[in-house]
Amino acid sequence: MYMSSVPEYIKIVEEVFDKFKGREFLYIGKDVRRWDAVEKIKGKSLYTADFLKFYKNAVFVHSVRTKYAHALIKSIDVSEASKYPGVLKVITAKDIPGINDVGYVIPDQPLIADRKVRYIGDIVALIVAEDQMIAREAESLIHVEYEPLEVITDPLQVVDLMTLKEKPHTLIHDERGSDVLVHYKVRRGDMEKALREADVKVEGVYKTPFQEHAYLEPEAAIAIPEAEGGVTVISSTQCPFDVRKAVAKVLGVPLNRVRIVVPAVGGGFGGKEDVANEVAAKAALAAVLTGRPAVSIHTREESIIGHSKRHPMIAWYRHAAKKDGTLLAVEANIVMDTGSYASLGPFVPWRATVHATGPYKVGAARIDTKAVYTNNVYAGAFRGFGNPQVIFAVERQMDLLAEELGMDPVELRLKNILRVGDETVHGQKLTEEHGVGLEEALLKAVEASNWSSKRMEYRKAVGPLRKGIGVAIFYHGNSIGVEGADYSSVTLIINRDGSISFRTGLTEFGQGSTWGLVLIAAEILGVPPSYFKVENPDTSATPDAGPTVASRATVMGGAATVIAAHKLRKRLNEVASHILGCDPEDIVIKAPEVYCGSDPNRRTVWQDVVEQSFWLGIPLQEFGYYRAPRAVWDEETGQGAPYITYTFGAIVAEVTVDMETGLTKVDRIYTAYDIGRVINKVGAELNAEGGAIQALGYGLMEELIHDKDGRVMNPNLSTYYVPTIKDAPEIIPIWVEAHYRKGPLGAKGFGEPSFNAVATAIANAVSHAIGLPVYELPLTPERIYMMLKKAGKI
Amino acid sequence: MLEVRRSDVEYPDVEIVMKINGELKKVKVKPYERLIDVLRNKLGLTSVKEGCGRGECGACVVIMDNRPVPSCLVLAVRANGKSILTLEGLAPEGKIHAIQKALIDVHALQCGFCFPGVIMMSKHLLDNNPDPSEEEIREALDGNLCRCGSYLRFVKAVKLASKYLREGKTYFDESEVLR
Repeated sequence: MYMSSVPEYIKIVEEVFDKFKGREFLYIGKDVRRWDAVEKIKGKSLYTADFLKFYKNAVFVHSVRTKYAHALIKSIDVSEASKYPGVLKVITAKDIPGINDVGYVIPDQPLIADRKVRYIGDIVALIVAEDQMIAREAESLIHVEYEPLEVITDPLQVVDLMTLKEKPHTLIHDERGSDVLVHYKVRRGDMEKALREADVKVEGVYKTPFQEHAYLEPEAAIAIPEAEGGVTVISSTQCPFDVRKAVAKVLGVPLNRVRIVVPAVGGGFGGKEDVANEVAAKAALAAVLTGRPAVSIHTREESIIGHSKRHPMIAWYRHAAKKDGTLLAVEANIVMDTGSYASLGPFVPWRATVHATGPYKVGAARIDTKAVYTNNVYAGAFRGFGNPQVIFAVERQMDLLAEELGMDPVELRLKNILRVGDETVHGQKLTEEHGVGLEEALLKAVEASNWSSKRMEYRKAVGPLRKGIGVAIFYHGNSIGVEGADYSSVTLIINRDGSISFRTGLTEFGQGSTWGLVLIAAEILGVPPSYFKVENPDTSATPDAGPTVASRATVMGGAATVIAAHKLRKRLNEVASHILGCDPEDIVIKAPEVYCGSDPNRRTVWQDVVEQSFWLGIPLQEFGYYRAPRAVWDEETGQGAPYITYTFGAIVAEVTVDMETGLTKVDRIYTAYDIGRVINKVGAELNAEGGAIQALGYGLMEELIHDKDGRVMNPNLSTYYVPTIKDAPEIIPIWVEAHYRKGPLGAKGFGEPSFNAVATAIANAVSHAIGLPVYELPLTPERIYMMLKKAGKI
Repeated sequence: MLEVRRSDVEYPDVEIVMKINGELKKVKVKPYERLIDVLRNKLGLTSVKEGCGRGECGACVVIMDNRPVPSCLVLAVRANGKSILTLEGLAPEGKIHAIQKALIDVHALQCGFCFPGVIMMSKHLLDNNPDPSEEEIREALDGNLCRCGSYLRFVKAVKLASKYLREGKTYFDESEVLR
């Protein structure tokens, strides 16, 4: 049968891992400057909207959005607006040549609403005009007749938390016949027996908010019409191949007529996974219908009301344990609000479900997760992807359990965490090959923070300023698991002058993912990173590398890089061996030097090896493709092996809470992560800091609020608060390297894990400081003040 | 139905003169046009970034007559006769400024979108306070949002830049940094 044996690429990744074991590295794990540092620091890097200066005859696309969050569209009249001077075209649903849909996972999201609108960001028409001012002026001339429907902003209007049954309500997706998007389950062990044997049980209902990505660069796309009905789109996206698919679908043309180029991207964090499809499709439509370059740029307000958010969660949890702290059972009903459209909603709750018991040995588990539609802004991917939400519930529960048992929270966790040889709640056995560094991470974070004495000392405090210390631990499945085909690719081209072109369809949106891949290639080839030029992702220049999501760039793209670099290195060794007369295995490349290891006097230079390869007819370009081992998941029981491996982490946070105002200041965060081999040291440190600061916002201040009509109450950066430089606490990064043998040189993913447990560690610290349990994020001053007031503490 | 656009009738073009990065520039602008759009689209100075258009994020900060301003909140006509410095004019060709060098030294760079504003704001701070404390740095950069979270490195970088400047090292060769 096809592919019945282990593919060559899997073997290469393991072979290279074994080969480099214990070796001293030149670039991996070292301080190396980014390739784009100087360009960016000089302000010369071009982001999507910057290209506008090159297109003097570009037209602007303005989105006319709905007045109501839930309504039927009775009629739409654009005739007056179409005649407004300077307006080239008004596009409505009927003008779309292809399929009117930009749904990311399922086709439930029209690009331009036709029959009904489902949230306040829905678009009813696009005005294409000579400039933005004209387009805005013309907006008042568009007449839409709506029949408003009941607006649902509370997911518990759709399902009941305790029974998870759908309630009678005005259907948002009436075409589906139900507003429950997905239901995922985990069933393990004998729940009744576990509950019978339990000495203690703790339960609680936990709530987490909508979170806005607030990447500094709002969404943008510029489309240039091309021959044969095609289009080139410059797009601020994480996933150029998904954008290509969406644009081709809307235009009704084959994929090869659409070219997507991704220049510098000003942040993504998951948010530029699917809205980029919509924005690119809008620009592409306008370009094709007017024959001129077309630009679609969202204002900040449009960005906030018109792109995906982190899913809010409401969850009921019950934990049962023995007197000695042994965890016996976890039960949970989890409701996630996916908002008006599915977006990544079919996948986010799956990741939440997989991680719903935390990184613990659990004998019995029953988890039910439902994601439901509401008329809120749609929810999708955001750094962590469902995991931060359940971590909040699980790690709060663990603290409650510790308190109930009179145990130290760290002691309780150490008693139950996953180690090598243990089975996850899905029955996946963790081996040495996966790399399991959770215990080491927890112990190191505890030691560095001086946990024990602070935990005792802080509780004794009196007066208005109270200190607290909290811990939270987590695991995070790497890459996309059973969500889809999990592959990646890169192309390495050694040019005639010895310089190297690096191409991949993975994108770099700030956190340095591509840089790690260059370090891997540099290490294996034996050339300095300065020889490389990282090209912009371009769907016409590189094969599909899969999306840049799910902390997969380093682990998946890195594996593809290992393969391409390894194959090239083999050929270079043979050419050098031909020149120098020693064995290919004996060749040392430290470009520009190339010599025989056994006799360093027999030497030549890199350029000569490249030139000789050319004359010998040895190709110096290589395509690396890697596909992850298949993940396994039983839909009915949640048993299997959902992810290839896991990143682990332990966070300790220290806070000071003002008992009179409820204001929390985070003093210090210790972040201990097991990410396998640290490939890109600088990138890892930046991620640890940046993820922690973003999560501090999630823990203390960030919450997108809808009113009862589904309008967003805080659609800009003066009302939706994100951390500023004044909020940034001291952050102490700690690394644990439990290598993953099937990863590139032992690496695991880190993009999302840096966010995952920080807000919860802060919440646990706040709880410690104020002496009250917390059940809801964010812990704004108001929320803490009200809790203190209710408890009679002030 | 309107015969002509409101914006054309009510708002004829105005010619303004600005000294931009040391050079005199004459530009025709609409009375409602923002300085940021003139800088970016008419003069090609795309280091000036638009993050919010409401003066809330700090990405578009330029220095106008020695004062940092969010160029999204300044009408272009108000810049008439003014002297404006953008990131493009911070250092001579082939050189980078001490602040830029320091930001690279401490590896502050992530997506880079907030950097032009952060750099201009830091320059303004150091022009007026050659040896700022950590608290003063945080106060000065409080209006510059960085969602990637490089804040701690901004503090380090401004301290380092202040040291460079006090040692008389204002500019560094680009090639020196690239090594």
